[in-house]
Amino acid sequence: MRKLTVIPERCSGCRLCELACAINAFGVNNPKKAKLRVFSLYPHPVIKKPIVCNQCGIPKCSENCPAGAIYIEDGIVKIDEKTCVACQMCVTSCPFGAIFVHQEIAVPFKCELCGGNPKCVEVCPKKAIIYTPEHILGQSTRLAGVLKYAHMKEVEYFEHGIAKKLRYADIEKGKTSGDNNDN
Amino acid sequence: MTIKGGYCQKILEMDLSKNNKRVIEVSDSFAVKYVGGRGWGARIIWENLKHIKDPLSPSNIVVIAPGPLSGLYLPASGKTSFSSISPATGLYADSNMGGMFAVEIKQAGYDAIIIRGRAEKLSYLFIDDDCVEVRNAKKYKGLGCTETERQLKEDLGDETLRIATIGPAGENLVKFSCINSEWSRNAGRTGMGAIFGSKNLKAIVIRGTKDLPVFDLTRLMELGEHAYKTLKSHRLFEFWQRQGLMTVVDYANAAGIMPTHNFKDTCFDDADKINGEVMETFYKIGDAACYACSMACGNVNLVKEGRYAGTVTEGPEYETACMFGSNVGINDFAAILKANYLCDEYGVDTISTGNLIAAVIEAYEKGILTLDELDGMALHWGDSDSIMELIRKIGEREGIGNVIAEGAHGLIKKWPAIKQLLSQVKGLEQSSYDVRSAITMALAYGTSDIGGHHARAWTIAKELEVGADWTLDEKAAIVIYHQTVRPLFDMLGVCRLPWIELGFNESAYAEFYSAATGIETGLEELLKRSEAVYNITRAINIKLGATIEDDFPSWRCFNEPIKTGPLVGKKLDREEYTKILKLYYNKRGWDENGVPVLKTLDRLELTDIKI
Repeated sequence: MRKLTVIPERCSGCRLCELACAINAFGVNNPKKAKLRVFSLYPHPVIKKPIVCNQCGIPKCSENCPAGAIYIEDGIVKIDEKTCVACQMCVTSCPFGAIFVHQEIAVPFKCELCGGNPKCVEVCPKKAIIYTPEHILGQSTRLAGVLKYAHMKEVEYFEHGIAKKLRYADIEKGKTSGDNNDN
Repeated sequence: MTIKGGYCQKILEMDLSKNNKRVIEVSDSFAVKYVGGRGWGARIIWENLKHIKDPLSPSNIVVIAPGPLSGLYLPASGKTSFSSISPATGLYADSNMGGMFAVEIKQAGYDAIIIRGRAEKLSYLFIDDDCVEVRNAKKYKGLGCTETERQLKEDLGDETLRIATIGPAGENLVKFSCINSEWSRNAGRTGMGAIFGSKNLKAIVIRGTKDLPVFDLTRLMELGEHAYKTLKSHRLFEFWQRQGLMTVVDYANAAGIMPTHNFKDTCFDDADKINGEVMETFYKIGDAACYACSMACGNVNLVKEGRYAGTVTEGPEYETACMFGSNVGINDFAAILKANYLCDEYGVDTISTGNLIAAVIEAYEKGILTLDELDGMALHWGDSDSIMELIRKIGEREGIGNVIAEGAHGLIKKWPAIKQLLSQVKGLEQSSYDVRSAITMALAYGTSDIGGHHARAWTIAKELEVGADWTLDEKAAIVIYHQTVRPLFDMLGVCRLPWIELGFNESAYAEFYSAATGIETGLEELLKRSEAVYNITRAINIKLGATIEDDFPSWRCFNEPIKTGPLVGKKLDREEYTKILKLYYNKRGWDENGVPVLKTLDRLELTDIKI
């Protein structure tokens, strides 16, 4: 299972994702019909962030749908247009705001991952939207945590005349095994 | 010839004096003949010209127009042109901005908005598709551009509204004030902000939801995808995303064309402290792009330490880095960012402001201005504190700022001796290229319809690289070619940077146009339309009293040779310039006074233009 994830730091706010998504989904040049949205805030804080559906395993949108119109198929959360009563409960109950409405479209709409080949990912010129295997999610945070580990040491060295630093976590010295001291 | 897409074929006309809204249907022939954007603007200004008295009176109009390609799936389709009569030059004016505003106008169902009259009180125009209202803007009086946009979004409860606003400088009718959108996108030149200010129009808030009409969306998508791929494959694409137009600093300095100390010198000793490398390494925190643009030339910068810590702004690009860097002798990038921020907030054009401040510093240095006249500020090069203070004074029209706020013409009127120090054409302060080494660039500035601006033709790099053996005839021709291609982008409602910076072929735009509108058109035909528009703006200027003298670059170009750098000793010869100017007129089909002759107007199907 692969999922969309975003790296806000990379996003330039060009909205090409919105435009390509809308054209792909509805066949019209209208970014207001996109199934994702870029939010740009400025200047406090400065951030641009594409809002995408996380395809939740236990979707709030589905839980709150009074008509039972939202179901999961192959890991993708879908809205059944025939059952949907367009009450927009899903729109307001999605914790990420990833379900959208438009006055010309009868029922709310959401990302269905373009059949496994998301258009937004394809067109993003900054690689700010990524389609990644589920188990990778969270890895950047884990990696950052590891890199920030406070007890790392540094060694400086020169390579072709350029100063470089190597960081490492040393083994604990003077102890054979942590718990043996009491014996 | 029937339009099948690209155009909404509707113009929203708002008369603020009468609080009267009108939707004008646009005929196929008008739409196609003047293409859109600045083309429509120029034609509409021409038709209203006889009613326009003073540029800052209610009789003036401003035409806000994206183009037929705005908002579509192709690179950088987010340009909006503002056309009017400039309070700075008294002549035809237009200025365009990127961002998202163009798309929103078109999604609201309009190809253009015409603003007439003057609202009784400070107001903002609210457009939500077909709903159009003039609302009270008292609450936003005196607020900076960023702050106005932020507050309006908060008050209206929608972060996705698109807003174009003026700052205090526009309200105070500063002659080079601008219109700001998306926090850092500006229709900067020719004083559009003052025109909004004179109409008591603080902002336009707009939301549009409609589909944009496209004749052949499949073909447009194919062309668009090919275009994005072509740009991406360019060897400088990634570098461009990183540094954008800031890359020009190193180029211009090395070439010896970067205005320094009020255009006296052409290279700056400390250029490596204000270049793209410095920006990227120490200040850049994010990218910024206009609508549907993969190039992302905008750079969001933050000053993290020192006296300007906390300053955050999108920019500068080359023009600002030069005008508030080398041209005023500032070598501290953080100070440039601060100046950029202040200009955006007050809503003044960074080019004009930096240019004028530099002239005032030199005037003080030369003893033309006294300490008293400068409100006691002993100005000197690189004096960032005083420069920040001057920006504030200009925005608030206080003391010396009130004089500078009148622009180049105003300064000359008050202190005639300053004329020789001012780099300006037609009263518009010149942008950041020294022309003493390149006569084509001098001609480009001289014959630019809006005054001293590089947007119409930028031929300097090519002339310096390969133009040594060009004849005057060839030189005049290349200026005309650029003046025909470049304005075409403004007419189509797209950005010219994919073409000029990453070598994207201009003929692609004819294909985009054909796919969007269903009218099969070649580049030749579009260029002819662009040439026609150049003749209309020329006709407007002639009607408004422009003469051959207005087509000359500033005094310094002819009289002070470059003192340092790779192009030392270069200056222009007035006789040679006069010669190339006459050649230029001739090639354009204008008489020896620069007036388009009947035959030319006939060829361009402009027989109804009576000069």
